Amino acid sequence: MADAFTLPTRFGAESLGGCYAPETLMQPLLDLEAAFRSALADPAFQAELKAELRHFVGRPTPLTVAPRLAAELGFKALYLKREDLTHTGAHKINNALAQALLARRMGKTEIIAETGAGQHGVATAAACARLGLACTVYMGVTDMARQAPNVARMRLFGTKVVPVEAGQGTLKEAVNEALRGWAGRCDQAHYILGSALGPHPFPTLVRTFQTVIGEEARAQALEQAGALPEAVIACAGGGSNGLGLLVPFLGDGLRRLAVEAGGHGRALGEHAARLDGGRMGVLHGCKTLLLQDEHGHTAETASISAGLDYPALGPELAALAMDGLVEVRRASDEEALAGARLLCEREGILPALESSHALAALPALAAEGVATVLLGLSGRGDKDLSTYQSRLEI
Amino acid sequence: MNPLLPFLMAGDPSLEALPAQLSEARSLGIEALELGLPHSDPIADGPVLQAAAHRAIGRGATPVRVLQTLAGLTDSPDLILFTYLNPLLQIGAERLKTLLAPTPVKALLVVDLPFGEEPAFEADLRTAGYPMVPLLAPTTTLSRARQVLAERPDPGPAAPFAQRFAYVVARLGVTGAGQDTDLAPVSERVSHLRNISSRPLAVGFGLADAASLAAVRTMGATPVIGSALVRELAGGESLSGCLIPLMDGDL
Ligand SMILES: Cc1ncc(COP(=O)(O)O)c(C=O)c1O
Repeated sequence: MADAFTLPTRFGAESLGGCYAPETLMQPLLDLEAAFRSALADPAFQAELKAELRHFVGRPTPLTVAPRLAAELGFKALYLKREDLTHTGAHKINNALAQALLARRMGKTEIIAETGAGQHGVATAAACARLGLACTVYMGVTDMARQAPNVARMRLFGTKVVPVEAGQGTLKEAVNEALRGWAGRCDQAHYILGSALGPHPFPTLVRTFQTVIGEEARAQALEQAGALPEAVIACAGGGSNGLGLLVPFLGDGLRRLAVEAGGHGRALGEHAARLDGGRMGVLHGCKTLLLQDEHGHTAETASISAGLDYPALGPELAALAMDGLVEVRRASDEEALAGARLLCEREGILPALESSHALAALPALAAEGVATVLLGLSGRGDKDLSTYQSRLEI
Repeated sequence: MNPLLPFLMAGDPSLEALPAQLSEARSLGIEALELGLPHSDPIADGPVLQAAAHRAIGRGATPVRVLQTLAGLTDSPDLILFTYLNPLLQIGAERLKTLLAPTPVKALLVVDLPFGEEPAFEADLRTAGYPMVPLLAPTTTLSRARQVLAERPDPGPAAPFAQRFAYVVARLGVTGAGQDTDLAPVSERVSHLRNISSRPLAVGFGLADAASLAAVRTMGATPVIGSALVRELAGGESLSGCLIPLMDGDL
């Protein structure tokens, strides 16, 4: 049994991250870090993960040129990294599958997960069905209503979906309940956290399993276009697809951007834009930029997109932003809807509402004179059809 | 041995009622009491304490108002402030020390602050007289328990119980009255812990009735009664009415 962490637990000049966990979870987290390090060092684990990513997930995902959208927006070239084409329809499967393999390696027989948009829940449910692990997913009741197709998909995969009634019934409450559930079952269950947040080692673990996105995209850009783009951009909920895409470009001289949910206003409670709306705080086991009131209570959030509707920015992405390595922007509900419509009409691709926030930031980039952009299309929009139907009046 | 460590949620039923509750507890002979600071996201609490925290927040029991309500109280047990880290971080160590100074708070139990995560903050508060209570969970190995107890040391027999005891978490999971928590495993852990430490131990999580409290006392440890008490109080029962039957007549 491990008695100290050996990987760095903090990020950036502000020392974000850390492991602010209840004592019950400390030994499980220490053991998880040790198992993670040993798996990474084991060629058999790496080979198994690679094979599953290829034959089950469908990697590598394409880098698709989007010429009609590029022309419309005034770019010379626009590339879409197609995580929407993975099995289960979002980047979440990269992490869920890898962690499920890790859990099996640790001898765990049960999986616990939280979900917001339902994409992490579906990905975890699929991975568990494939590996023969029992799975319980906590999901806020508001999100269950707005992402109903994903609830059905999880149940079809044999996962138990536990509705969380507390608070706003969104991702924050689902994480609360998953942490509580894990504390009760941590002797036999592994908790597959779905984004680059939570106590150490989760932010590092999730980011490690997601950088396949940026590694592929970088190689594909060089191969297909012969050069790197001027800007790389992704949406940011907790930060897993953002880090996954952007981290492999950290050594390159280009602009890296992450787009948060601007919701329907700028007052606290009307958005999930943590970079300018948040203050340093601790939630769900890590120190990071947090939307909170003056008492240190977590603030309410709002976004049309369940996957971005979360009060904390993952610590590593927050650190990269505070250290000037990633630019963080916000896109409103309306702008995201417009971005989604444009991609549908010009390229025949239906994006998730989360990914639409990255699309919504493109006009501003074009106006700033950026000519070539690579955008992380984190997921597909089938789950959001009912929102699109009502909000876009189709 | 201290026979009972009760837990109350500050602001539930009301902050106005808190001074009288504390004085009632003291008149019953309660030496130390855990006082919950209501938090928006109590990740280590079960449904009863979650609901109590949300009721209290709804009635305006903010962290600063709770501490202001405690200011100047002398007719109170020693208090252990049971809280999550973020509200304390937002108040900041300097202001927190000023707010705590006129209160009966003697120690802090910060559920989501393992040793080593905020060393400067923790050392500052300890020096000012507010040590962090060490927590020992069912997952805490004996070697980690040694570490935890060394990082959060016993100030010695001259210090009050509130500043000396280690909190032994009886079972996995969150706070809440469990169905028939099996006390055999925790009894075994308590005897192992006795081999490595001579400080007082309290055992909590899932204790709901006089029999389980008595079982903890036979281990030589102080039982904590939390969710079961908060639930009774929310149902309108008086503190004395709840506590007297649980005292085992030996107070
Ligand atoms: C398609 C999609 N994109 C993005 C996100 C946001 O999460 P993250 O910031 O971790 O990538 C989600 C979360 O549910 C999602 O489903």
